Amino acid sequence: MEPCASQPSWYHLDNAAMMYSAIQRGNYSALYRFSAVMTDPVDPQCLQRAIDKTLPRFPGFQVKIRRGFFWYYFERDDGPGPVLQRDIRNPCQPVRFQNHDKLIRFFYYEKRISMEVFHALADGGGALVLFKTLLAVYLREMGHAVPNTHGILDVTQPPQPEEWEDAYARYAHSRVHLSMSEPKAYACTGTPEPFYTLNVTMGFVSVRELHAAAKGHGASITEYLAAILLQSILIRQRREGHRRELPVSLAAPINLRPYFPSTTLRNFILTVRPSINPELGDYTLDEIIAQVHHHMRLHITRQEMQAVITKNVSLQHILPLQLVPSPVKNFAMDLGYRIAGSRPYSTTFTNPGIFQVPEEMESLIHHMEVVLGQSYTPRVNCAAISFGDIMEITFAGTVRESDVEREFFRTLVREGLHVKVTSNRKECVPCHTASTVE
Amino acid sequence: MSYCVNCGVELDRDAAACPLCQTPVINPVCPPDPQAIPNFPMERQEVEPVDHRELAILLSAMTVCTGVCCGLLNFVLWRGVPWSLFVVGACAVLWVWLVPPLLLRRAPSAVLLLLDLLAVGGLLVLIGTVLQGSVWLSGIALPVWAGFSLILLTIWMAAKNRSFLSRAMLILGGLALFLVWLEFIIDRFLGTYRPMWSLIAAAVAVTLMLPLAVVRTRPNLRRQVRRRFHF
Ligand SMILES: [Zn+2]
Repeated sequence: MEPCASQPSWYHLDNAAMMYSAIQRGNYSALYRFSAVMTDPVDPQCLQRAIDKTLPRFPGFQVKIRRGFFWYYFERDDGPGPVLQRDIRNPCQPVRFQNHDKLIRFFYYEKRISMEVFHALADGGGALVLFKTLLAVYLREMGHAVPNTHGILDVTQPPQPEEWEDAYARYAHSRVHLSMSEPKAYACTGTPEPFYTLNVTMGFVSVRELHAAAKGHGASITEYLAAILLQSILIRQRREGHRRELPVSLAAPINLRPYFPSTTLRNFILTVRPSINPELGDYTLDEIIAQVHHHMRLHITRQEMQAVITKNVSLQHILPLQLVPSPVKNFAMDLGYRIAGSRPYSTTFTNPGIFQVPEEMESLIHHMEVVLGQSYTPRVNCAAISFGDIMEITFAGTVRESDVEREFFRTLVREGLHVKVTSNRKECVPCHTASTVE
Repeated sequence: MSYCVNCGVELDRDAAACPLCQTPVINPVCPPDPQAIPNFPMERQEVEPVDHRELAILLSAMTVCTGVCCGLLNFVLWRGVPWSLFVVGACAVLWVWLVPPLLLRRAPSAVLLLLDLLAVGGLLVLIGTVLQGSVWLSGIALPVWAGFSLILLTIWMAAKNRSFLSRAMLILGGLALFLVWLEFIIDRFLGTYRPMWSLIAAAVAVTLMLPLAVVRTRPNLRRQVRRRFHF
């Protein structure tokens, strides 16, 4: 099989990828991690074989990022790997473009299989297709029969060109360029930890219970969780005792594939921005849920999103801007993001949804996990993924404080849900094992 | 398994404390089980820091090129005034300013600052020697440079890990000191020392420092000011 033959040796970054690579700095990278906790311990040899068999089907993940004169670009990586590694305590380490680091990494630990992806390659939806296919191939290596259904791609087939299309460019044809007015939001930052320390706190909730609780408030699970997160940050801002309080806003990425048909595995997301302005008065949880619910329903429309895509894509086709050398452009984009990009958001909340697999796989996976790396300033980000009856909610960030997640999970407990919490924070390890870590 | 008495969440079997509120687990029936396999690996790993050597080599090549080109032009085309020495000196200063911060990333910032200041001093000596201006060099340039360097280095080291107010006070104090020293050097060079404008400027700086010092030492006042002026 020669799957890469039809694949170009280099290609452009898409609209979202440009942003993620421009804000790339020495200490932070826009990375995220998906993990599957299996019912049995992981066999590293089998998993490595599965990686080697799966990745040729996904040439878009086997690329290096290179700096061109005007833009970054992806170049096909014909080198060996990626190599499966033993998992580490501080996940989502930054990538180094100049060292030609792999933009995708694989880890194993006990029963957990993890995959880290640099966000310029793909969004969560695209990466989950790869991860699901990898798990299926791995389970086949372990002797289970798994069919190619539920979005699992056939690794014996050659890759399809439309899986690597820039879907933003395809749909950037609205007559109107729409840009949202984005006022400054409360920056939910805290005391930064030393470099490369990502504090991860995970909570596990029953999907059935959560669904019932959300339904009790007339909302979907995503809206319900987003509202509780908003409330936790509002409480935090109130505790800091500012004379004037800023709006609290979430960056909630929306998968565009259901609205604009595309099978692309690259980035195809937009962010919506549910927001609460505490200067207007105090909101009860029900009122916040209503705000989030109506905001999502009002703004997630095909027409409005297409106008935003058009605006974003048109920015990269302004000739004077195109002809600015890439270091200058990156610096300007970074500055722009510093001033405008991260300021309208307090934190990120992403819910890639339900991880659906064929029946044959269901009994072999215990639960799924997702972690957002630290992409910019030290602040805690929230992500959730569900598999079977287990909803996993992760708070991750390089901040020392744990007040946002504390408030969040306490609210869930108060709502009558059973929450199981686990964390990689140092303090949680029993004393004598902790001393060996130092 | 235990639950956090504070948060009501279930904890890991090996958890010694609640990850949300750090309340220790004290459960006589079911103490933390250190034998349990931890949910996260123990090993840490860190990516290598960014390699700045390439950039350092590029910058070095650029400064050396500029210096050599000017030198050649000077000695081939326009003989006479050795103006290229100034360019070479400026290139050397630029090199000291740009390259050591890239390579000596672990060196304390005061050392780098000292290097920068020494480079400026070297440039002054170079200019003085080339123009045979040892009178103004030893009379004004070097004393002013030495005073400036000393004050800047002191502020730099003293201001580390200080509050905003302390830093403002240090900078104002340093400025006052430098102005007094500047007038002393100029007057001495011109003849007799008659302190005038520098004392006025220093007095203004000290008057500005006084309220800052009061605010700094009175916690109540400090809280008040922080509340009113936070941004
Ligand atoms: Zn607790």
